[in-house]
Order: sequence, then C-alpha cells, then structure tokens
Amino acid sequence: MKMKQVSILVAMAALFTVSCSNDDDGVVIEEVKGDYQNGILIANEGPFNNGSGTVTYISNDSLLVKDAIFKLENNEDVGNILQSIAFNEELAYIVVNNSHKIHVVNRYTFKSEGVIDDGLLNPRYMTVSNGKGYVTNWGDTADETDDYIAVIDLISNTVSESIPVELGPEAITSNANFVYVAHKGAFGQNNKVSIIDSSSDLITSTLTVGDFPNSMQWDTAGNLWVLSSGAPEYTGEETNGTLTEINTSDNTISQTLDFDTTEHPSALSVEDDTFYYGMSNAVYTFEPGLDALPTEAFINDVSFYTMTVNDGKLYGTDAKDYVSKGDLYIYDLNTKTLTNTISVGIIPGGIYFN
Amino acid sequence: MRDNKPFLIILVFLCTLFGNAQQDSITVLDEVILTDVRLLHFSNGKVDVLKDSLVDRNGSSLTDLLQFNSSIYLKENGLGMLSSPSFRGTNASQTAVIWNGININSQLTGQVDFNTIVPRNYGSISIRSGGGSVQFGSGAIGGSVHLNDLFRFGKHSEHELLFSYGSFDTKNFNYRTSIGSKKTTVGLGINYLESENDYKYLGTNQRNENGAFNNVNVNANIGHEINDSQLLKFYHNTFIGDRDFSGTITAPSNSNYRDYNSRNLLEWSHFNEKQIHRVKLGYLYEKYKYYDNKERADFSFGNTNTFLINYDYKINFKDIVLNGIADYSYIEAKGTSLENGTRKTLATTLLFKHNLSEKVTYGANLRKEFINDYKSPFVYSLNGRYSFNSHHTIYLNASKNYRVPTFNEVYWILGGGSGGNPDIRPESSLQAEIGQTFKKEKYTFQWAAFYIDSEDLIQWRPNDMGIWTPININNASNYGLEVSLELAEKWGNHNLTWKNSYALTKAVDSETNKSLMYVPEHKVTSILTYAYLDWRLFYQLFVNSSVFITSDNSESLLGYAVSNLGLSRSFKIKEKMNIETSLQVNNLFNKNYQNVAFRPMPNRNVQLKLKFKI
Repeated sequence: MKMKQVSILVAMAALFTVSCSNDDDGVVIEEVKGDYQNGILIANEGPFNNGSGTVTYISNDSLLVKDAIFKLENNEDVGNILQSIAFNEELAYIVVNNSHKIHVVNRYTFKSEGVIDDGLLNPRYMTVSNGKGYVTNWGDTADETDDYIAVIDLISNTVSESIPVELGPEAITSNANFVYVAHKGAFGQNNKVSIIDSSSDLITSTLTVGDFPNSMQWDTAGNLWVLSSGAPEYTGEETNGTLTEINTSDNTISQTLDFDTTEHPSALSVEDDTFYYGMSNAVYTFEPGLDALPTEAFINDVSFYTMTVNDGKLYGTDAKDYVSKGDLYIYDLNTKTLTNTISVGIIPGGIYFN
Repeated sequence: MRDNKPFLIILVFLCTLFGNAQQDSITVLDEVILTDVRLLHFSNGKVDVLKDSLVDRNGSSLTDLLQFNSSIYLKENGLGMLSSPSFRGTNASQTAVIWNGININSQLTGQVDFNTIVPRNYGSISIRSGGGSVQFGSGAIGGSVHLNDLFRFGKHSEHELLFSYGSFDTKNFNYRTSIGSKKTTVGLGINYLESENDYKYLGTNQRNENGAFNNVNVNANIGHEINDSQLLKFYHNTFIGDRDFSGTITAPSNSNYRDYNSRNLLEWSHFNEKQIHRVKLGYLYEKYKYYDNKERADFSFGNTNTFLINYDYKINFKDIVLNGIADYSYIEAKGTSLENGTRKTLATTLLFKHNLSEKVTYGANLRKEFINDYKSPFVYSLNGRYSFNSHHTIYLNASKNYRVPTFNEVYWILGGGSGGNPDIRPESSLQAEIGQTFKKEKYTFQWAAFYIDSEDLIQWRPNDMGIWTPININNASNYGLEVSLELAEKWGNHNLTWKNSYALTKAVDSETNKSLMYVPEHKVTSILTYAYLDWRLFYQLFVNSSVFITSDNSESLLGYAVSNLGLSRSFKIKEKMNIETSLQVNNLFNKNYQNVAFRPMPNRNVQLKLKFKI
C-alpha cells in the first residue's frame, strides 16, 4: 500500500519537475501534506455563552476560504471559546478555554490526533520547549491562587505535571532552555513575567514588568520583548503601557520603554526586527536600538480585535458585534493600504500561518 | 342557547324591576373583586384567557404553559433553566409580567425568568397581546402576561392535592385550597417541584449533567368585605428556586443559581355604583445568588426592594369610564457588581373609554412618569372597537410604549471589562394593530395583524475603550399576523375541542435589514382534547420554525415540532371526593431539539399524576 502511494508520488513529482523545469531556483518539490498547508489559520473564539469556536482556513492567495475546518475534518465541534492554537512540528494544539481541553490535530490535514482533557482548567495559551508542552491555566476563575502551568507529555498527550504560578498566566513563549509566562492577571490584574527552566520545570525567576502584560515577541538576537497595556482608566488607577526587553542570557530586564499614561498598547508582533503593535485606533512600529517610542502612527484609523504581521503584510481582525461573523483585513506593509477583506468566524481572536 | 332564553328574560325583567342600581352594584362588586380592571376595561385588543384545564396540564412553569398555549416564543437554556420570552419578535425585557395588577419584571434584568413563575395556583392567567405601557408600565411592548388571584366569596370549602412523579426523578407536589364565607375568603396554593433533570442529549453520549433543580412556590390571598362599600384584599406570592445551571454540549458547568422572590400587595377599595377608589400598598423583594462553582463558598448576588403606593380612582358617567391612577414607587438595588442605586418613580395615568353606542367603543390612554435618574417618555394609546353583532367584532389600536433601563444597565460597576451606562435612554416603540374576532358557540376565529417600530434598543457592546457597556444601538421593525381557531363539538357524552394558533413574525434590524436573532418566522400550536364521560385524552403540539443565532444571519438553529400526549380519568368517590389520575408523555416523538443553540432539550419522558379533590 505504502509502496504504491510512494510510486504515485514519484510519478507525479516527475510530472511536476517537467512542468517547472524552467524555474530559476531549480526544482523545489514541496510535498503536499494536506489541504491546509500554505495558508492562514484563523482561530475564531465562537459565541460567549453557548456555542463553539471554529478554525477558518484561508489560502495564501486569499482565493480559497474554508470555514470550520476542524468540524469539517472531524465531524466534531472544537468547543466553547477557542482561545489559541500552538504548533509543534506537524501538529497543532487547539486550546479551548471553556471546554477545558486541547485538541491535537495534524496542522496540515486538521485530522484529530488526540485530545488532552484531563488536568486542564481554563487553559489559555501553549508553547513547546525541550520536547514538552507548557499551557497557561487560570484554574478556577473565582480562585486567584490556583493558577498553574500544565506541562504536557507530547508523546502520550497527557498532563504530566502542574507548576503553580502567580495570578493570571496568559501569553507564553519559550526558547530552547526557558519558558516565559506573562501574567496579565485573569479577571484581576498582574504585572509579572515568570521564567521556568524547561529542564527542571522550576521557576527560576519572576520579573516585574508593566501592568497587564499581554504579548511577547523575540528579536533576532534572541532577546524577548514584553508589551504591557497598563491599567485602563476604569480601574481608577490608570497606569501607562510599557515595552520591556528581557535579556535572555541572564534573564534580567535590560530596557523599559514607557508610554504615556493614557496609552494602552496591545498585540505585539514582529518581522525582521521591526515590532508592530496596536494602540489608540492606530498601528505603530518600533525597532530595537531606539531609545524612544514612536510618536507617529504607522497606519491611522484602524482598530483590531487582534493583529499580527507576516511576510510583508499586516493582518487584523474585526469582531464586529461579537454575535456575527468577523472579518480579517489584510494590509500591505509597504503601501499601508487595505488589500483584502475576508469574512471569517465569530470573534476571530487568533491569526496563524501554516 | 334556546333553553336559556326564558331564564335570561326573567333575569332582565328582575333587573329592571329592582332598578339599574342593583345591576350596577353587582358589576361594581365583581369589579372591585378583580384587581386588574385595566385588563377588563382598557385593553381593547387581543386578550386570551387560559382555561384551568390547560393550566393544569402545563402548570409547573410559565414556560411550559405558554410554549403550548400561546404564540409567544420561549427560549430555555435547557429544561428548567433560565427562560426568556419573545412576544411578537420583541426581546425578553419587552414582555411584561403583571402579578395582580403590578408589573413584576426584575429591576435588575428587566425580564422575568419564565421558569420562576408557577402558574398552577393562580385563579386566572391571561395573555394580552400588543403594547400596554400606558396601562402596565415598562416592558409591555410585545405584550403582557397577567397572573391574577381570584377571590370567591360565599360559603365554600375546597381542597385539592396533587402528586406527580415522572422521568428524570421529577417530583411535584401541590396543595391548593379555597375557603370562604359571605364576608371573607382565603385562598392558598403551595407547590413543590424537584427534578434530577439528567436527561440524555439525544444523538450524543452526553447527559444533562448539573441540571438538577427544585423550587417552592406559595400563593396566598385573603379578602374581606368590610361593609357594602368597602373591600380589603391581601395578596402574597413567594418563589424560592435552587437550580444547578446546565452546561452546553461543548462546555461543562458546575454553577448554581438561587433565586428568591416575595411579592405582597394590600388593597383597600371603597366603592359605590358610580365610582371606585382603590389604595394599594405593595412590597416586592427579589434576590439572586450565583455560584460560578457550586463547590466553592463564593458567589455573586443582586437584590432589590420595591415599595409602592398606588391610588386609583375610577368613575362612570353614563357611557364614559374614566380612570386616573397615581403610582409612586421607591426601588433600591444592591449587588456584587452594582453601585447602590435607588430609583423613585411617580407615574400618572389617565384612562378613558367611551361606549358611543352598542356597537362602537373607543378609548384613549395617557401616561407620564417622573423618574429621578433618567427621562421617561410620555406614552399614549388609542383604540376603537366595532361590533357588527354579538359574534363579530373588529378592533384597531395604536400606542407608544417604552422599556426603562434596568439597574444593571445603569448602575453596573465599571470593572473587569464591563460597566453600566448612566447616559442610557429608555427603549421606545410605536405600534399599531388591527384584529377581528368571530365567536359562535362552536367556534372562535380570531386574527390580528401588527406592526411595531422600535428605537433605541439596548445592547451590551464593547465601547471605544473595549469596555462592555449597554448602548442604545439598534432600531427594529417587527410585523406579523396571528391567527387562531378554536372548535368545539359535542354529541352525547362525547366532547371534542380543537384549539389552534399560528403566528407569522418578522423582526428586522432597520439598519442591516437582517432578521433579529432567536425570532422564529412561524410558530404553530395545536391542542386536541377529546372527553368521554370521565375519560379525557389530549394531544398538544407546538412548532417553532428555524431561528438565526448570529446577527448577520450566517448561522441558524433548526426548527422543531414537539408533541405531548395525555390520558386521564376521574373517579367520584363518595359524595364529595374526586380522584383524577393521569399519564402524560412529553416529547412523544423523541425529537432531538434545542431551543438555544448547544443546549439540548429532553428526550421522550413520562409523567404520572394523581389528584384528589374535596
């Protein structure tokens, strides 16, 4: 059976070679790994109270859009509040907050490879380091002391350990040795980044950053940048947003840039060492090495539910009234113009590239 | 009919003999015994009164009752959970529930959870279609549901005991009694309902976990005739509910919700043949406690106290009826997420009716409220009725109605990403209706067409700063047609009745032209009852067509038809005792349906009832 498939593949590859033989770079045969390769995946949270999140697939040329691909491939709902998707090699981990589970699927075919539903309580985001998965969990939302990181055995797809952490672990990222957890504060408020050594799974240090750290990105030197929104006005004690650089060689804060008190940035993303973030109905850019934050917006009059940059384009979503299909907007970063608007699912909260 | 004629003639003769005064005073006494005169005199539209036998079948919740017996669309978060109505395509806070003449919509949410009203022990339940804000206050936009206790003077003593057991370990106990003398009467009804409610989700291997509930409901009333011109009445209702809130297909739940409602009303009336003075004192208390995780001790809560005093003066001049009402209420609210708010309202109402001739009646009603924390619109209604003959009438009405912002909408504390909006305005609507009724011994046929234009509809949305807050955002227009046909046939000991209704409803967002969510275009109800001697067989059905569950109409929920079948027999034991046994099969065809997306409703289930009457 296998031999037969391989031979067909070879035959097709031969055909392909012929047709592409005049390509400048010679022939790159890309194995077709599934319907959802080479495209954008949108994680739609789904309606709040009752319902299911969905994943929308959009081909890179935006011509093909497929709704609810998880359900399409597995005939099962993703679950209530699709919080985020993490990737590791050929697998995607779909983190479902209110259903307290993670679906493991092949990232290209979206066929289910398993489900992790034991040991998770209000899971938020996941990262992979040192061959293990790390998932931020709010625990019981009424309990501010039971928040934890679930360590996932990626072979058996089970929670192997829980690391108790400070209130409200949210965004999580990692390099080969450490896992970095931003504590936004769940339903409360926090201003910490905790750092876990992924060989021992112990917390090695906890850094204080700005209030409400919401996103983290890496620069090409391997240092980590943490964006905090600051406390909004309604908290009664408004604080400024901050952008903090963590030097990962010794895991200390090497730089802190303060925004104005009334400025509350979010959704940090990066491409080629240029950082992008959204704030006050505009998108701003920042490059490491600069001593000050920009005062001029990069693109004005835009407001996104979430945004990110990739391959010269800016992707932003609009959740509209939260009870209808949202939109994905694609901007060209060179011309700063809107090139595409694509209807996606309900509350599009995550943008990923396959 | 023919047989009654001599009797009627004698009656008419006697009345003329003893003069008109006598006749009037009988009506006046009947009228003061009734609390809701506005329903009697100033509701020139469609009012359906549900018969006792209908209430008896679906008597444990208002949801169940209206599902099968009205054109109101109800959505329940699973059986017994939160339940909200949509009357003529309006939203849940636009249906007023009127308890013995007082509006009891929650001051916190603006709605009544229809699973917290136990209709079984009320003397009369009426459904009044169309706007009624002038008569009944805030929220009577789509229509209103009226729960009235009845007072029976005259010597009697009646007791009724009901036991019922059914699927999902559902137990129901009910006791009601009415005792009276010439001058005094006492009524009492106590109902207890509990259920494990762990029904199967058809087509899955899941169950309705965490759906157990129980509730206690007490109705009590005392009436006393002080003398020929004075009557004192006291009404009371307590509801205590304890529910685990079901999860959905995609998310489990371990929450629990408790509510406590107490309603008290004291009414003194002084009357003669021309005029009635009424003074009412009322006290309403509502409280909820919500445990997000029932294993934990922490909960959130909200409660309100409402004190009201009401003076009502009604006078008849020949063919004209005039009614003036002044109503003052003081409401205070507290809660985990509420600023301590108080609201003082003075409402003034003037109702006018003129019986121009035997055939033509028309009326005009006005209301103006003065409220401390926002501006309430001046509302009015106009109506007319023409009777071609005693079988055939046609009516027209038009009104302006409103819904006040609730305490949650105004006083919700800013924090955790949400907050109330002190600048919110009341929702308001203009509406018109035309209808016709043909009524004969063997059939009743009615139709009504309506149009409602609503503006400033309130919706919670994130504002510029990302904070969820109520905003006056939508305008909508609703229109539709309601038709009902009731047939009765009788031969020998056989009795057959067939009651049907159909409603066509369109509710459209004026800006986007999209249909509003959770409004079915079609609703059908049908009840067929066949009685033979002591046996009774009934079949009841309701059909809801599909509804949109997203505001852009991109997703919808399938329509469904649900049927119940019941059989009962009554036995007479000795002279006075009567026993009735019945078996009811709910969801006869085991239909897999959801009336809120991702929240399945029960599979086929059975209920056994045993009732004793003395």
